[in-house]
Amino acid sequence: MSERSGRLATDVGGTFTDLVYLDETSGELEVAKVLTTPADPAIGVMDVIRAAKIDPHSVAFFIHGGTTVINAITERKGARTALVTTAGFRDVLEIGRGNRPDLYNLQFRSPESFVPRHLRFEVRERLDASGNVVRPLELDDVEKAAEACKVAGVEAVAVAFLHAYREPKHERAAAAQLRAALPGVAVTASHEITREWREYERTNTAVLNAYVQPLMAGYLSRLGDLARDAGIECELNAMQSNVGSTNFERAKTHPITLVESGPAGGVSGAAYLGRQCDAPNIIYFDVGGTTAKCSLIEGGVAKLDSEYRLGLTRLWPGYPIKVPVVDIVEVGAGGGSIARLDDAGMIRVGPQSAGADPGPACYARGGELPTVTDAKLITGVLDARTFSGGLFELDETRARDAMQSLAEPLGRTVEETALAVNRIAEADMVNALKLITVQRGHDSRDFTLLACGGGGPMHAGALAREVGVREILIPRHAGIFSAWGMLATPPRRDIALTTLATIDALKMSDIRNVFEKMIREAKEYFDLEQKLGKALAVSTKLAMRYQGQEHSVVTDVDLDTQDIDDILQGFHRAHERAFTFRLNDSPVELVTYHLAAEVEAPMPPIAPPVLATGAKDNAVRGQRSVWFDESGPRDATIYSRERLAQGIELQGPAVVEENTTTTLVLPGQRLWVDQWGLLRIRED
Amino acid sequence: MRLRPSADLIALISDGLYADKGLDSADMTAALADLEIIEGKLLAAVDEMGVVLARTSMSPVIYEVLDFACGICDANGELIAQSNGLTLFTGTFSAQVRFISRKFAGRIRPGDAFITNDPFEGGTHSCDMAVVQPIFVDNEIIAYSISVAHWLDVGGAIPGSLPPDAVDTFQEGLRLPGMRLCENGELLPEIADLIRVNVRLPLLALGDLNAELAATRIGERRLAAICGRYGAVAVKNVFESILSLSERRCRNAVALLPDGVYEATDVIDGDGVSDEQIPVCVAVKIDGDQVSVDFTGSAPARGGPINCSRGALLSAVKTVFKALVAPHAPSNDGWFRPLEIEIPGGTVFSAESPSPVGWYYEGSSQASELVWKALAPLASNRFSAGSYMSLCATYLYGQRPDSDDLFVHIEPQHGGWGATESRDGASALIASTDGDTFNYSVELLEAILPLRVREYSLNVGDGSGAGRHRGGFGVVREYEILTDAAYLHGSLGRSQERPWSVGGGTQGSVNYVDVTSASGSKRIARIKQMALAQGDTVRICTGGGGGWGDPSERPIEAVESDVVNGYIAVEDAVADYGLDPTRLSSVV
Repeated sequence: MSERSGRLATDVGGTFTDLVYLDETSGELEVAKVLTTPADPAIGVMDVIRAAKIDPHSVAFFIHGGTTVINAITERKGARTALVTTAGFRDVLEIGRGNRPDLYNLQFRSPESFVPRHLRFEVRERLDASGNVVRPLELDDVEKAAEACKVAGVEAVAVAFLHAYREPKHERAAAAQLRAALPGVAVTASHEITREWREYERTNTAVLNAYVQPLMAGYLSRLGDLARDAGIECELNAMQSNVGSTNFERAKTHPITLVESGPAGGVSGAAYLGRQCDAPNIIYFDVGGTTAKCSLIEGGVAKLDSEYRLGLTRLWPGYPIKVPVVDIVEVGAGGGSIARLDDAGMIRVGPQSAGADPGPACYARGGELPTVTDAKLITGVLDARTFSGGLFELDETRARDAMQSLAEPLGRTVEETALAVNRIAEADMVNALKLITVQRGHDSRDFTLLACGGGGPMHAGALAREVGVREILIPRHAGIFSAWGMLATPPRRDIALTTLATIDALKMSDIRNVFEKMIREAKEYFDLEQKLGKALAVSTKLAMRYQGQEHSVVTDVDLDTQDIDDILQGFHRAHERAFTFRLNDSPVELVTYHLAAEVEAPMPPIAPPVLATGAKDNAVRGQRSVWFDESGPRDATIYSRERLAQGIELQGPAVVEENTTTTLVLPGQRLWVDQWGLLRIRED
Repeated sequence: MRLRPSADLIALISDGLYADKGLDSADMTAALADLEIIEGKLLAAVDEMGVVLARTSMSPVIYEVLDFACGICDANGELIAQSNGLTLFTGTFSAQVRFISRKFAGRIRPGDAFITNDPFEGGTHSCDMAVVQPIFVDNEIIAYSISVAHWLDVGGAIPGSLPPDAVDTFQEGLRLPGMRLCENGELLPEIADLIRVNVRLPLLALGDLNAELAATRIGERRLAAICGRYGAVAVKNVFESILSLSERRCRNAVALLPDGVYEATDVIDGDGVSDEQIPVCVAVKIDGDQVSVDFTGSAPARGGPINCSRGALLSAVKTVFKALVAPHAPSNDGWFRPLEIEIPGGTVFSAESPSPVGWYYEGSSQASELVWKALAPLASNRFSAGSYMSLCATYLYGQRPDSDDLFVHIEPQHGGWGATESRDGASALIASTDGDTFNYSVELLEAILPLRVREYSLNVGDGSGAGRHRGGFGVVREYEILTDAAYLHGSLGRSQERPWSVGGGTQGSVNYVDVTSASGSKRIARIKQMALAQGDTVRICTGGGGGWGDPSERPIEAVESDVVNGYIAVEDAVADYGLDPTRLSSVV
C-alpha cells in the first residue's frame, strides 16, 4: 500500500469536471479534465480521478467544489419544500421586497418563490424585537403543519420565525418537533444558517438551504461512497463560498454555504498565490465560457459579500442568501458569448452564450452565431490546431462565415468586426473590474491582475492597460485554476453576531469578550480536540456606522494592539474613503461582530519541482499574424509555455500557448518568467 | 490612429449613412466601441451614486425603501444617465438642472453645489430635495450630477410635511427655490442653519443632505476621471450620441405603431379635502414617429393636495412612454425628444403656485395610468390591465413611549398589478410612480419604532380581477400601536373606482385602511390627521389588479391551482370561472 501523501481537488463545472492532484513527496502536479455528467456529477468526478491515473489510496486530502448547488437552484431541481413560519406572515416569502428594478417594464413580476403557497404553514407564536415572548409557541400548530407535510409528500422543511435572529428558542423548539415528526425529511431553521435581521432575506436563505439539502446530502453521500469504494480513505471536504472548506457531513446540513463553491476555489487560490509570491493585492479575473468573474484581494485576504443575491442584475432583484459569499462581480462576457447587432445597428456581446453546446461557430458543433472565441480565432490570437492542446481543431471558415453576418450590415471587414466584438466584450469586463476597484475606493495601480480560466490570459493584456494595474500574473494551469485553488483552502468557519451598541458605551474588554466567546464557538465547531496540534487562525472585524445610518462599514480590528479610539479612527477613515465624507461629531454604533476562523492546513507549493531550462529560442513554436488593433495584422512570435525557462524575458507582440489557455502579450508589453515559473507581464 | 466619436460621426451613425461617406471603417469601428465603453462608465457612475446615497443616509425611507434617484445631465440639462431609483424623479432631473443653470447663469464656479425643492420649478413636492452639482473640466461646465431624495420632514403644518387636507402649498413645509448650497466644496453654514431651524428632524435632514452631497460628489469624481482619460470633447460627443441614438431608436419604435388618436378617461377618488370624484382624460396622438399627449379637458386644480405640477406630470408621462418604446434600455432624455405634452395651466395635472401639491404622486400616478390605459390595447406586449395604482402612502408618527422624541414612519404600500396578455398580474409590487422601492423589513421596523406588525400578507380576501389571466393581489399590512401618543394620516387613491380590466376581464379591487380602536372600527382612504392610542390597530389593505381576457378562457387547472393555494375562494371559482365544485375533492 502506498503512502498517503497526495492532495486531490475536483471541480465540477457546467461543461467540464477538472482535477488537480499534488504529490506532496515529489511536488509533481497532475491535471485532468473530463466532461461533466449532469445527471449525477459524482460519476464525472470518479471519471476524472480514473483519467488522471492517480492511486486513490495515496490521497491524504480530498476537496471538492463546483456548481451543483447553484445549478439545482437556478434549474429548480431541488426538493419539494415546505415553510413553517409565524402566523400572519406566510406570504413574506412570496412578497419579497416588492421592488421593481426593471423600472419601465410594466409587465414585471417578482422572482417566483421556492415554496408554493399551500406548503407555507403558519403557527401561532411571536417574539418582539428584543426577543421577548409576545405569544408562546403553539406546538399544536407545529404538529398540524407536520401532518400536512406528510400528506403532501414534503421532502424538506424550512422554519423561519420573526426575530429568531435575536432569540432562536421558538425556532429551535419547532424544528425539534418537526424533525421528530418527519423522519427522513430535511429540516432547516433560519437561525442555524444566519443570525442577521430582515425576515424575507433570512426566510429565503433557510428555504434555499432546505431546498437543496436532500439533493446535496444524497449527492455528497454517493460521492463519498464511490470515493471510499475506490480506495480514498481520508476525510472528504467541500469548498464553501466563504473561501474556506468544510467537511462533507457539515456540508450536508448547510449546503447553501456551497452556493459559489467553484469561483471561491479560484479566489482562494489567488489569495494564497499572492501571499506566497509578493503580490498581496490582487484582482482575480476568470473568463469562462459564459461569464467573466472578478474579485478583489487586498493584503492577501479575499473579500466576502454579506449582501449576496443569486442572479442579481441591474434589472432583476435575484434571491438573497445571507451567508458569507466571496465578493464576485460577474458579467455575461465569456468565450461563448454571442455577438449580434441591436435595433440601432450597434454591436452587442452577450449575455446570451453558445456555451459548450453548440458552442462557438468555430467548434463546428452546430453553432452558427459569432462568439468571442470566433473573434479570437479570426484575429489570430488562437491557433486552430493548438487550441485546447489539440483535443480538437477549430474551424476558421465557420468562424469567418459567422462573423460575416455582422460585418456585412456594418460594411466592415471580418477582421475589423472581430476586433470590435473583442473590444465590446472587454468593455463589459472593464466595467466589472472598475466596479470592484476604483468604484470602491481602490487604486487599481496597487494591484496585480491574476488572469485565469480558459479566456482570462487572452484578455488580460488589454484590460490591464485599460484599467491600469501594477502587473499581470498568469498562474500555472490557468485554465483549471479553481481546482488548484481548492488545494490552497483551509477549513473555515464564519460567525457574525448582530448586537447594537454605541462605541462610547463600550470598553475594549467588552469587545474582546464577545470575540472570545465567538472563538470558543468556532473551536467547538471544528471539534479541535480531534485535531490536536492544529492551530486556529482568526480574523476579527467590526461593522460600524454613524448613528442613524442603517448600512455599516466593515473594518479590521486587532484585539491585541488596538484600543477603542484606534477602532473609531479606523472607522472614520474607512467611511471617508468609501463615501467621501466623515462625521467626526456624530456618535458611532457597533452593529456586527464578524469572526473568520481557519484551521491551519498544508498548502501546495507554487513552483513545480523542476523548472524548464534552455534558451528562449527553444520555446519558439513559430510566427503568426495577429490583429491587435485596427491598424492591421502584426507578426507575433508564438511560444510554448512548458519550454519557457525561469528568467526569460520576451517582448510583445507575442503569444504563449499551453494546454488550458493562451496568453496574449500586446505590442509595448514585456513578459518574463519569474522564479516560480509564473508569467508576469508589464508595460514596457 | 483611433478616432474618438465626433459630432460628425454621431450624425452619420444616427442617419445610418456612415458606410457611404468614405470614412475609414477601422476608425468607425473603434469609435463605436468607445461609445459603448464610455456609456458603460456613465451608467456605472450613476449606479455608484445611488449606492453611496443609500449606504450613508440616515432615513429609513431612503436606506431601506430607496426613495431617491441620481443622475448625470449634460451642460444643457439633458439627462444622460440615471441610477435605478424612482421613475417619478427621473423625469424631473432636466427641469431642475435647467432651473439652477438659468437662475445662476454666469455665477456657477467649481466647488459649488445647489439645492432646490420647488414644486413649481421642475420639482415635485417640498419633501423631495434635489442637490445639483456642476462638473467642471478645464473651467467649463461639462455636466451636472444630481441626486433627489425624499426627506422625512421639511416642516409645515404636520410632521412629515404632507397634510392630506392642505389647502395651499404654504402648509407643506420649507420651500427652497434654488439656493447655493456649497462654495469651494464646503457646505454653507447659513443654509444648514436655515434647514436646521425649519424642520422637525434636523439630524436626519442634515444627514440626508450629506448623503446626497456624497452622491453628487462621486458623480463629479467619476465623470472627471472619464474626461481625463478620453478628453472632454470626446465625452461631450458621446453625450450627444447617446441622446441621438436613443431618439432614433424611439422614432423607429413609434413609427411601427398605427397612427391614430387613442383616448382614455378616468376619475380621481377625492382630493383630500373632498371625497368627490374628479374627472380626468387624455388623448394620445400617434403621427408617424411623433407622439403627442393631450390632457386638455381634465378638471381644474383642486383645493386639496392631490394636484401635481407640470414637472411631475412630465415624469409621469415619460415613465409610460419609456415603457412603450424601450422598457429595458437605459433611460436618457433622447428617448423623449419625439414626445410632446399638451395641457393648459391650472388643471389638476398642471397646478400652479400656491395650489397644494403635497400628495402630487396621487395626481401624477393617475396621469400615468391614463396614458397606459389609452395605449394598453395598442401595445399588449408592453402593458398590463389597471393596477392598484396609488402608492397608498401612510404616515404614522408620534412620541416614543420611553422618551420625548418624535418618530415618523412614512410608508408606501405595495399592491396588485393588472394581468397581461400573456400571464397573471404581479402581486405585491410597488406602483409605477416608484421603482426600485423596497417594503420595510418588519424586523427592522419593530426594532426602531413603537409599532408591531400583526400581519403582512397577500390581500386574497378582497381578490383581484378575473380573466383569462387574473390580476395580481394587493397586500394587507396591519399595525398595532405601542405608544399612547400617535397619529395617522395618509392618502389612498383608487378607493372607489376599481382598477380597469381589458378584453372581457373583470375589474380589480380597491385600496382602503381600517382603523380599529376601543370606540369601534372605521374604513377610510384619504386620511386626515387621526389620533391613535396604545393597542389601536391600523389595517392597510391594497387592491388587486384588473383581469385580462374572458374568464371562461382560463384553463381549469389554473383555477384549481388558485383554489388549492388559497388565492381564490371556492365560491369565487364557481361564480367567476364556472368551476365544478365536485372536481375539487380530487385536488384539495
